[in-house]
This record gives sequence, C-alpha cells and structure tokens, in this order.
Amino acid sequence: MKFLIAEDEIDLQQSMVRYLQSDGNICEVASDFDEALYKIDLYNYDLVILDINLITGSGLDVLKQLKFEKKEAGVIIISANNSLDEKLKGLDLGADDYITKPFHLAELNSRVKAVLRRVKFGGDERIEFHEISIDTKSRTVYVNDSALSLTKKEYDLLLFFVTNQGRVLSKEIIAEHLWGDNSDLLDNFDFIYVHINNLRKKLTQEGAKYIKTAYGSGYKFIAD
Amino acid sequence: MVLSTLVLFFYLDNLLRGEVEEELFSTQARIVTSLENGMPPQTLPPEFEVTKVSELAPQVLKDTIIFDPLQNEMEEFREVTSFKSIKGQTYKITVRNLIVESEDILSAVILSYIVIILAVLSFLFFFNKRRNQRIWQPFFSNIQAMQRFTLSSAEPIDLMESDILEFSELNHEIETLTRKVRADYLNLKSYTEDVSHEMQTPLSIIQAKIEGMMNTDGLSDIQFENLTSIQKDLQRLVQMNKRLALLTKIENRQFSRLEKIDVAGLLKKQIENFNEISEASFVLNANNGVHPTMDPYLAEVLCTNLLSNALKYNEHNKIIRVELVDSRLSVSNSGDHGIVHPEKLFTRFYRESNAQKSTGIGLAIVKRICELYGFTVSYEFSDGNHIFSVIFG
Repeated sequence: MKFLIAEDEIDLQQSMVRYLQSDGNICEVASDFDEALYKIDLYNYDLVILDINLITGSGLDVLKQLKFEKKEAGVIIISANNSLDEKLKGLDLGADDYITKPFHLAELNSRVKAVLRRVKFGGDERIEFHEISIDTKSRTVYVNDSALSLTKKEYDLLLFFVTNQGRVLSKEIIAEHLWGDNSDLLDNFDFIYVHINNLRKKLTQEGAKYIKTAYGSGYKFIAD
Repeated sequence: MVLSTLVLFFYLDNLLRGEVEEELFSTQARIVTSLENGMPPQTLPPEFEVTKVSELAPQVLKDTIIFDPLQNEMEEFREVTSFKSIKGQTYKITVRNLIVESEDILSAVILSYIVIILAVLSFLFFFNKRRNQRIWQPFFSNIQAMQRFTLSSAEPIDLMESDILEFSELNHEIETLTRKVRADYLNLKSYTEDVSHEMQTPLSIIQAKIEGMMNTDGLSDIQFENLTSIQKDLQRLVQMNKRLALLTKIENRQFSRLEKIDVAGLLKKQIENFNEISEASFVLNANNGVHPTMDPYLAEVLCTNLLSNALKYNEHNKIIRVELVDSRLSVSNSGDHGIVHPEKLFTRFYRESNAQKSTGIGLAIVKRICELYGFTVSYEFSDGNHIFSVIFG
C-alpha cells in the first residue's frame, strides 16, 4: 500500500514512516502544507495521514482539496488537542478516522489497517493470518474454519495483535488500546495477563500458537 | 468666634461706658456753667444733685445702685461726684446716668451677633454639605463601579467623570490598571492551554521514538524493561497534560453543548468497562433518576473521574457502591480513615498519599464541572467509607 504522511514534526514523521514501512508499505512524506497539496495532486495514495496543524496551513484544507479532486484515499487526521469541534469538522469533511497526539504507533497502525479495510474492501474484509481468519464485519474469528468464542476485549486484542504482527507490543501499549484513558488505573497490569492468557489458551487449543512473549514482559504475534 | 464675641463684648462695654461717662461729664460741665452764670443750684435726684459744702475734695467716679421709682426697682447708675469752687462758694456736684439702657443695648448687640453667627454657620453647613455631595458623588459612584468590576467579564469599567483634577487622574489610573489586569488575566488563562497544547508534540515524539526502539533487534530484556518503564512514566505525563488541558477548557467554557443525559445508563456502561479491568466490583443502584442537562462529554468525564477515583483508593477487593437516587449520585469506597483535609480535596494536585499514581486533577475536574452547571459535590467519611456525592441541579 502507498501512504502519504503529512506531518511537520520531522522526528515524529520519521518514526511513523519507519513503523508503517515495516509491513512493506511505501511511505511518502510531506513536511509542510504546500508539499502536502502538491503531492496529493500529483500522486494517488491508498491512505493519507494528515496532521491538522501543518505549520504553513491546515490539514483540513488539504483534506478539502483531496475530496475536491475526488481522490480515493482513506484519510486519518492527527490532532494535537481533543477538540470535539475539530474532530467533527474533520469527519464532516470526509476523514475516515481521527487520532490525538500523543499516540502509540501500534495504535496508529491499527487505525490505518481498519481504515484501509473500510475504504478498500467496503469493511467486509477478512483478515487472514495462517489458519486464523477474522471476519471484521461480523466480528467473528475462525481457526481452521471453526469459530472461536471470544469476549469483546479478546476479539479487540486479537485484532490488535494481528494487525501489528511481528512487532513488539508492551503491556502499556496493549492496555492503551483496550482501555484508552482508563489504562492508568491498571497499576499492576494483572488484567492484561488475564486477557492475554485467556486468548492464548483459546488459540492454542486450536493449535494457533502465535502469541509469544518478548523480552520477558512484552508480546509479539508472530509465526515461528 | 468665641474669642471675637468676648472681644466685642468688652469693646462695646467700654464704648458704652465711655459714652455714659462722656454724658456725665458733659452734664457736669453744663451745671458748672449755669452755676457760673449765676443760676441757682438745681437738684433733680437721682439725675443730678448740687449742694453747698464747705470743703473741696477730689472727684469720684463710681457705680451706684439706687431705687428708681419710675421703674419700681433698683437700677444701676454711673455717678460722678465733683467739688467745684464757683464765685467763692464750694459746690458738690453729683451727676448720675442710667447704665441699664447701655446694658440692654449691649445684650441686644451680643444676641444679634450670636444669631448672625449661628445663621451663617448653618447656612455654610448646608451649603458645604450639598457642594461636597456633588463633588464626591463621582468618587463614590466609581467606588461602586470598582466593586462591580470582574476580571472575567469583557466590559470595560465605567467610571463617572469629574471636573476635579485629582479625581480625573484617579479615574485614568483605574482604567489603565483594570485594562492591564484584564489583559494579563486573559493571557494567563490561555497560558495553561497553550502550554499543554505545545507539550503534546514533544511528548508524541518521545513516545514514538521509544516505541521505535522497542522494535529494534538485539535488545536485552533489561533494556526492554527500561523502555516499558519509561513508557509508563510517559503515559502518566501524557494523562496529566490531557487532564490539565481539559480543566482549562472547562474553565474557559469551551464545552457548551447541552443535552439531557441519562446518567443511569452512562454509569452502567462505564461500570461494565471498569469491571473488566478491576478486581473490585462496582455495584450500581439506580432508579431512573435525574436527566441533567449538560455537555455529554463532561457528563462522561464526571462519572469516569468519580468511579476511577473510588477504584484507585478502594481497599483491596471491597465493593464500590454507586447509587443514583433522584438527583443525587453517590459513590462510596472503603478506606481505613477519612481524608485529613477534606476542604482541600478538590484542589488541583492535592493528594494525601503518594502511594497511588494519580494525577491529582480528577477531583478538581469534577468540581469544576459541577460549578459550571450549579451542581454540588461533597465528600464525607462515614462507617469506614469515603463517600463522594453529586447533587444535580
């Protein structure tokens, strides 16, 4: 997939590129408003990640231009504050999702994949990972064609793992994804263990042993 | 004034006495002249008496009191007695004059003087009083304007003008001062928001780099541990920043949506969420209670903060009771002793134990939300439970 990342903070921009690239995606960058406009006009992307505050202009204007030119890219807006107005404006203008700084890259990755599923495949995509098959529309998981019975959190967790396959995920990151702002209440992360272990057990029962521990306290979803 | 009254009195007295004595001597001189002209000695007591005597004696000028049949009372006279030798005969000439009249005049004058003084004084008093009122009225009106002045309103202070230079200068200074203070205040209000806004970018960069590092090959377990530990601390910072920004936004009245909120439903949803991540169990008891009108996001924040606060400080494995009865919401969690300074409980960053990694802003946010809508929030400790209550409306 081809992405455009429009972000004027170069460090952040590069971190995003490195992370998203490792799935084999092509990541191009725009470091200011004009560059963003220029590139969306010239090229076609599968997904555009837009920071609302590009020093020389607003990401929302880039979005407007994108829609005006009838480009078929998915759009994720990055904003520095939790302003509901901005969120609504962005979504109204046709953005597919909205993420607030600061965010975990794994989280961004999840959102990217979700948007791609919606935009490219009408939200009907099945995600396949070896013998695991996830029907994102009905939110059911099949291992070798037999359905797994998963709780809501276990489903979210599995989806998160699969979309971030091959990456090291710390408990912090997983907690953030599953519980958002309330994750700071988990002062011992026991519950993460519980959910992950439950998921692992259910998968292993079907012979899908992909949840590996990494560095003792992290996790990786990877085939051997 | 008293002094001048006294002075006047003695002056007039002297004057009148002088007049009386002049008259006496004038009458005496006329008598001497008529005697010298051969007129027989006359006697008209008490006015004057002329008698023949054998020897001369010095002149005597004095006051006497004589019964006056005309007025039927004792009257005071000024009397001069002199001895003159005229045509070989020595005469004793006594001339007297009533002082009464002079004294009447004297008291009349004094009285009028006093009346005039009083009249002038009262006139001056009322005249001054009114003039002062007129002069000071702008001053007092401006004091009231200053009392009405608030930083948060956008209206400039409305001062009454005055012709008096000092008041005019004062007005000018007050206007300058209030303008400056208000500008500083607005600046300060946006400061927190600006700061937290600015902080988000560097925080994102740090977070992204750490995550990038975690995904590099060849990390040792310890290095990974350190990185996740940093992530946790970073998360705390991020949360604090978000909460501070929220608090500021609430204070700046940036949440203006109004909807009727189903608090019972909101609590139920949140408790479901919490029950997944906590060992404690929340027990909800809600009648369909109140549906307050407020911003839905703030309603969520209000409930979440109360619930998570209870969760953080709850004693291990005990039940957290959440009750919504009519317009009163109460959340109780167990604790071994009450908060020592309950009055400080809702201030920013106040904590009574460092054991919990709390930002210290949750309750301040709750309070601010309540203040915004006129709800009341309170705390009490009873029966081994911390109880936070919010009364909607």
